[in-house]
Amino acid sequence: MSRRRLLLIVAAAAGVAAGGVLVGAMVLTTGGSSKTAAPVGSEHVAAMLRGIPQEGTVLGSRKAPVTLVEFADPQCPYCADWARVALPVLVRDYVRAGKVQIVYSGMHFVGPESETALRTALSAAAQGRFWNVLELLYENQGTENTGWVTDSLLRSIGGAVPGLSAQKMLDGRNSAAVEQLLAAADALAQQAGVNSTPTFAVGRTGSTLRIVHVSSLGATGLEPAIDAALKE
Amino acid sequence: MSESRLRTAIAVLSIVGAGIAAYLTVAHLTHTSVACVTGGCETVQNSRYSELFGIPVAAIGLAGYVLLAASAGFRSDLARTAGAAAALAGFVFAVYLIYVQIGVIGAVCQWCITSDVLLALLVAATFLRLREA
Repeated sequence: MSRRRLLLIVAAAAGVAAGGVLVGAMVLTTGGSSKTAAPVGSEHVAAMLRGIPQEGTVLGSRKAPVTLVEFADPQCPYCADWARVALPVLVRDYVRAGKVQIVYSGMHFVGPESETALRTALSAAAQGRFWNVLELLYENQGTENTGWVTDSLLRSIGGAVPGLSAQKMLDGRNSAAVEQLLAAADALAQQAGVNSTPTFAVGRTGSTLRIVHVSSLGATGLEPAIDAALKE
Repeated sequence: MSESRLRTAIAVLSIVGAGIAAYLTVAHLTHTSVACVTGGCETVQNSRYSELFGIPVAAIGLAGYVLLAASAGFRSDLARTAGAAAALAGFVFAVYLIYVQIGVIGAVCQWCITSDVLLALLVAATFLRLREA
């Protein structure tokens, strides 16, 4: 065999082998080629939340002077409208500026799928990604109790959140930390007498918050109450 | 084509590829947006396919392009063979990643496609160079 031919064979074999190893490693580490299309909204949710601190279900600086509590169910359609329309504006104008922290107080009365969705998002809190998962749930919300909260959807949402291990999130859904967050949210909703969603409470951080009856699910529904609290 | 011309072509293509890979690596590590005309760059950059064992795929590409550029700098059988093997390995991986973008993630990043074209040209150049040996 000529030297040239030998070199060609060596290069071709080494190239295909090395490329194959890279492909194989990627297939193994990403769990194969299971069809998980990118969930709707993954780009703008990542961009909206990028760089904003998250601790548990709190979005924004813990030192923010005003606190907004959102009582919501992951399956409630109005909550999804609010998440799509009002939240990005409030995050841009108030949360990013360090003026407001938003606390999500999750409820699950619409149906069993609410609890599955909520537990999944709460489990992502351990990785500091609660809001990313929650917002993608709203972006991809299906009709109430029609079986839209599938493992495949949750896995694809988990896979679309930068820096999140989807497997860890799914494994942690019944953890003690999740039970604790669920119980705390239940207690808060009961104490505030909340029986419909979304319900909002606004006030100075650390003081008693007031329930705000919103006339619109746009940012303008809450801005007057937030601005007033900022001036207090 | 003479070997010296092929070496120049390999060097130029690899340096362009390294530039793109470096840009994507920095954007991935600093979580900044990339300039995008196809609209799917962030989806691709934020997907679980954007890292392998915690290393950004763009950084693996960068290492490959640096190796390819280096291979153009030497006139030995080892350099010719290693260059051709690296280009082919990169191309095989790139073809799989095109499948992932279209078939799995459902988003396409023009930087990745540009890099794929560069890799196809590099496979041609490095194997032609090997034939000149």
